[in-house]
This record gives sequence, C-alpha cells and structure tokens, in this order.
Amino acid sequence: MEYSSLLFIYGFFPVSLILYHITPKKLKEAAMLVLSMIFCSFFGLEYVLFIAAYIIVNYTVSRLTDVLRKKNAIACFIPFAFGMVFDIFALFAFRTERFSAVYTTLRLHEAFFPVGISLFTLSALGYLIDIYNGRVSSEKNIVRYSLYIMMFPRLLMGPVLRYDAFTRIMNSRRTGINELGKGLTLFIKGLTKKVLAADTLYALYIAVAAYDTGELSAVTAWLGITAYILCLYFTLSGVADMGVGIGYCFGYRFPQSFNYPMFSSRIRYFAAKWHVQVIHWFRNYITKPFASQMKSRYISKLIFIGAWTAAGYWYAFTVSGALWGALMGTSIVVENKLRNSRMLKATGIIYTFLLVTVFSVFLASDTVSDAFGYLLAMIGGNRLLTDTLTLYLLKSYLVVLLVTMYASTDLFRNMLLRSRRMLLRKVFSSLTPVVMAALLAVCTALISSSGSSEMLLMKL
Amino acid sequence: MNNITSKLTAVAVSVFIAFFGAASFAPNDKAVIPALTWDNTTGGSFGKEFSSFAAQHFAFSDTWRAVGSRIDSKISGDIVNGVYIADERLIAADISEREDAGKSAAVINSFAESYDGAVYFVAVPTSAGVYGDVLPAHLSRVTEKQQTERLYEQLSSDIRRVDAYNLMKMLSDDRIYLRSDSKWTMYGAYCLYRTVIQKLGSQPVSYDKYTIRHVTDEYCGDLYRRTLYMKNEHDILDIYEYTDGAQVTECISVGNDGSEHECSLYDASALNSDDMYKLYLGEREPLVRIHTDVNNERKLLLIGSECAACFVPFLTQHYSEITVFFPEYADRPLCEFTDPNYCEQTLFMLGIDSINSEKLSMIEMR
Repeated sequence: MEYSSLLFIYGFFPVSLILYHITPKKLKEAAMLVLSMIFCSFFGLEYVLFIAAYIIVNYTVSRLTDVLRKKNAIACFIPFAFGMVFDIFALFAFRTERFSAVYTTLRLHEAFFPVGISLFTLSALGYLIDIYNGRVSSEKNIVRYSLYIMMFPRLLMGPVLRYDAFTRIMNSRRTGINELGKGLTLFIKGLTKKVLAADTLYALYIAVAAYDTGELSAVTAWLGITAYILCLYFTLSGVADMGVGIGYCFGYRFPQSFNYPMFSSRIRYFAAKWHVQVIHWFRNYITKPFASQMKSRYISKLIFIGAWTAAGYWYAFTVSGALWGALMGTSIVVENKLRNSRMLKATGIIYTFLLVTVFSVFLASDTVSDAFGYLLAMIGGNRLLTDTLTLYLLKSYLVVLLVTMYASTDLFRNMLLRSRRMLLRKVFSSLTPVVMAALLAVCTALISSSGSSEMLLMKL
Repeated sequence: MNNITSKLTAVAVSVFIAFFGAASFAPNDKAVIPALTWDNTTGGSFGKEFSSFAAQHFAFSDTWRAVGSRIDSKISGDIVNGVYIADERLIAADISEREDAGKSAAVINSFAESYDGAVYFVAVPTSAGVYGDVLPAHLSRVTEKQQTERLYEQLSSDIRRVDAYNLMKMLSDDRIYLRSDSKWTMYGAYCLYRTVIQKLGSQPVSYDKYTIRHVTDEYCGDLYRRTLYMKNEHDILDIYEYTDGAQVTECISVGNDGSEHECSLYDASALNSDDMYKLYLGEREPLVRIHTDVNNERKLLLIGSECAACFVPFLTQHYSEITVFFPEYADRPLCEFTDPNYCEQTLFMLGIDSINSEKLSMIEMR
C-alpha cells in the first residue's frame, strides 16, 4: 500500500489514527506496531515474515553485542560481525539480481521486494555500530526496536535516524489538533509533490527514455534528464514528506529529509540539503570514523569521495550510480578548493544545477556506457539539436517544467517568511485550509482511475 | 504555520477525508471484497486487489475520474490514463514495446500442421494501429504494421494470410472504428469481409442488400471508460440484416462446463448492460455453434478474439455450419469442445492486441 493511494488516505490512515488515539497511553507503541504490521501485510505475508525475521535477528545480535561488549570486548565482535554481514547480505540479495538463489531457497515470489530495505538496513547497521562503539546501549524493549525498523510512517522513505534521536522523538510525543493540522499539511504537500509534480515529470522522462540514446536530439536529451532529476527530487521528497506528515499526526515529530536542494548556489549546499539523514549516515559511519584515523588530508578527501561513492551505489546499486556519487564527492572537494573563485560566485545556482543535472545522467542510466551515450546526445553528438519530439515535448511540458522548477525552490517560502508583517502572509494563512483541501481533492481526482500513484523511480 | 491555521486545516482536511472515507468504505451489500487466498496473501497481490477494489468503490468515482481526466489532459498534453485524446477519437497510447509474437506463431503453426483442412489468418489492427499517425512519435515505437509483418513472416507457408492492416488503413476516412474504443464497427468488419470471403472461396454479398439499423447511439467504449472524457460524442452500434439471404436456423453457445444455451447473432439485451459490444453474439462463451439454411454443407471453424463477434453475421451467408471458438474465454482446449477437423476451413481472426494472449494455447491439438 502506497501513502499516495485512496485506500491509505481514506481508509487505513484515518482508521489507524482513530484506533491509535483511543488506545491507552501505555499501549500506544504496541498499537503502532500492530498498525505497522497491518500496513506491511498489504505488501504480502512474505514481507511480514521477512521483516519479523529481520527484526528478531537484529534485535538478538544487538543485545548479544551489548552484553558481550561489557564483559569481553573481543567476543562481542562475533555477533557484531554476524549482524553486519547479515544486514549487508540481505540488502545485496534483494536489491541486486545476483542472488537469485535466495529467492529459490526461500521459495519467494518473483515479484517479492522488501519495501524500504535500503533505509531500514542503514538504520539497523548504524544502530549495531553505535552499540559496538558503546555510543548507545541496546534496546531491551523489542516493541520499540521493531518500531525503529518498521514503523509505517518511516518505512517507505525514512527518515533514517540514529537510535538516540529516534528514542528522543518517541519519548517526546506530542498530540493535539495543532500537530494534526501540521501533519496533514505536510502530508498533502508531499502528496501533491508526488502525484501532481513527480508523476507528470515522469511522463516527460519516459517519453525521452523510450528512445535509443543514439536517436536523441540535444535539447530532447536535456529535457529528459532535467525531468528525471526533478522527478527524482519530487518523488523522494514527496514520499518523505508524506511519511513525516503522518508521523506528526500520530504525535511523532520526525525531521524532514529534503530542504529545497535543487537550486542551491553550491554543490556542497545541494549535498547538505539532499536526503539529509541518508547523507549524514554515510558521513557519520564512513567518512568520520575513517578520516579521523588519517593524518593525510588527501587520504581524508579520498575517504570523503569514497563515502559519496558508497552513497551513490546505495541509491542505484549500479556502477553508474557509484560513479554519480564519486562525481558528487569530487566536485564538493574541488569546489571547496575554489571557494573564493569569482567565477563560482557569479554562476553559483546555474553551475550547481547544470552539474547536478549532468551527474544525474549516471544515476538514471543502467550502465556507464549508457550514461556516456546519453551525455554525448546532450552535447549534440547525434548531430541533432532539436527534432519534432523536442517541439512536442516543449509544447506539452514546458509550463510543467517551469512550474516544478519554481516549486522545487524555497522562493515562495522565503517570500512568505520575509513578509512577516504584511497582508500577504495573513492572506496565505487564512487560505491554507482551503488550499490544502483543494490540493487533496486534485490529487484524489488524479489517482482515482488507478487507485494509487505507484511510480517510485527507484526502489529503496 | 500559526495555531489557528493549523486547527482550521486539521478540521477542513479531516472533514474532507472523513466524508469521502465514510461514503466509500461504509459496509455495502453490493461491494464484493476480494477473496483472501493463500497465493494472493503471501505474494502481496491481495493488497493490489484491495487497492483497486477501493478505487472502484470510491464515492463519486465517476466524477472524480472525469475531473482527474480533465486535469491530466491540461497538464500532460492530451494523454490521460494511457489514452491519447485526438480531435476525433480516443486512441490507446500504450508506450510499452510489444512482445514478439513468435510463441503465438508457433502455436498457430502447430495447429495448422495437425489440421487436415485449409487455414487462413487475419490479424485485425486496433484503432491505434490505423489512426496511430496522430500519436506523438514516442508512443508508437513499434507500429501494428510492423508487428503484423513480423507475425506473418513467422507463420508457416501453408497458412493463407489476409493483409487487414493495409486494407483498414486505406479505408481510415470511413467510419470503420469506434471513436471511444479500440474496436471496429460493423461496417469495418464488412469492409474486411469483402476481401476475406473471396480468399475463402465465395463471393461477398453486396452492401446494398443489407438493411442497416442503428440500435444505439449511446455506446461508450473502453477508452471512454478509462478517461471519462466527454469531448467526443458517443458511438453508434449498427446491426446488418439480409432478409432475403440465408437465415440462421440454430445458434448454440457452449460454456466451459459443457452446458449449452440458445443464443443469437444480435443480443439486444446487451444494450442494457455495461458492455454494449456484447450485442454481437451475446454473453461470451468459449464456443458458439451456428447452423444456417445455406445448402452447401460447407463448415467453417472461426478462431477469434473479441473483434470476430461482429464478423460472424456476414459469414452466415456462405456456410451451412460455423463454429466460433474464443480462446480468451476457454478454460480447456478446443479439441475438448469440438473436433477441429470436422470443418474443412479454419479462419483465425485475432485482434493484434490479443495475438500474444497466453490463452491462444487452448487451440493446441496435441
């Protein structure tokens, strides 16, 4: 079940909210776990069994690691290493096609995919590393640990949190009509990003992707990749916003994952605003621990680039995806070197957007050679600047592109914030309830044919 | 966001969700919830079935879909729910590459090999094939023409082919296809009949001998139902009657369980149902056996898809017995219904959109 489905919005979400709020305070976390299990069951019984087994293994391993760490530092390495290998193997087994034997051995349906595995694996690994390092103690309460892995508002797109941050949020639950209003606003904002922006951009992207790269004109190739990166942003941030909004409605104030990264004035600002908790995870668990051991600044920078490469691989599970990460990491390093360059200051937003768009070719392509083929088309290597497809796409999607580009910036939010004492802010505030209900109605109309908006661009 | 705005938003959105949620998912005797089975529970297809059940029973779903189509057509350049809205008609805009028809060709070749009589094959294009020129280029990557050519190349040389694609293309200015559906009109079927029947060894009945009746002008086809787009007018369904010609003496449909029911070439009761196209040959059963008063002892086996239903009335002027087999509706092989060799001619009339159906294996004789 997707957040952006009629069944979820008008069925599961309101019913689960009511059930949760009438549950006695002591049982609320157990109720949330039951609701999450029901949510998971819509992906199939196989998924429920998988995630239950995953939780039991990780819970046992983390408890053992913690108990042994206090007694014998060397012995605790065994459960720790087992847990790490288990989680990483599960991630590779289900996100790549190299371990089809797992499907055969476990007699899983061909279409089975553990939704959210990339995200909850990061959570599980981070938690295990933190316990091994003595940063946190293991959780004795299996209900809460289960929620850390599979709580339904976090399941599809995170945020990936460190366990202590998760615990703080769980302990400082705050409910009320204000939280409900904020949560619903965030949810509808995410739903609009997903249904209205991402799904439309996806139509443009696949219109271009339907062609061989050797046939594409330069402008069409640029249109396609611009649509891709915007679609990726609106998809990931839309689903993430919906999850955070749902969390707010239940009283859990999870942080947002995207902070208007698309038109940043530096690559490093883009990196700091893009999928914040995921990028932090790679910084906290790869860059920092390894770089802090190194005296050489060059090796530290290599480790930094390596962490970005790993992040890129995590997104796409392809060499091409890893190359995207490597290019992002390298460009941040180079940019830091040229921090005071006048050229950089003058062209900030444009060069950042161009680089991010060009790099995303690697994220979008299955292989490195496909990516280079596409890049060749973008620079006019097919000896075609425009063609009839370009004109058709421009006629059909130019307005959509411009509107979504504007919507991906924080210009509107800043305009409201800066007009604190002006009429505009009051007008917008008073219109918000009507606008939200109208946006919900528009999204409902758009998903009413199929019942849901399932396009995710990449399976995380 | 200030507190008052939050509260008002909470109230407005909650009331909206509660109203439509209650109206959609309140217990309802008519709504049949998808059944839980071991397979659909473990594999997760139950979730999808339940989600589409929710979409079907969503309150005011037709209005929502009509509004959704309008919005979609404004923002996505005339493509709504996989349907292209052209000036004069709706056209299926399936972007997916069509599968290779090699497997189906092998099944048909195997049938022809085991069959004693003559085999004829017609691949009938859909409206998307004939009017696909107006589609944006990226939506018609593999044309139905190419697909038909590839299939014909793979058919055994013993099978006689009819080029329906070019014929229909030539007549595309006439009303040969419905505007709200990918199916053809009865006039479209008549145009093809003139060519096919000559291949089968008879002379066609001329057009002016038929009395044509418009039985409804309210036909809303499949493409309309996918978009609920009101720009184009509804379609007209015709029936062709040749009062001085041969008459049907018996028309029997045979179900998968072997039960036999009387049926007719034109079933007027279908005009009150959701699928008015069942006007032609009535409710679909795997096999229909038609006897006529033509005194020539010629027997034809017609293996067809949906498009064959409105072709049958024209054949009744030439055969004393016609057996129509719809593989799509069969649960067991053709030879369990009838002996194909009982007929001296077999005509395959399959829509190009149903060539790759798994159900085609129902014609296998071995």
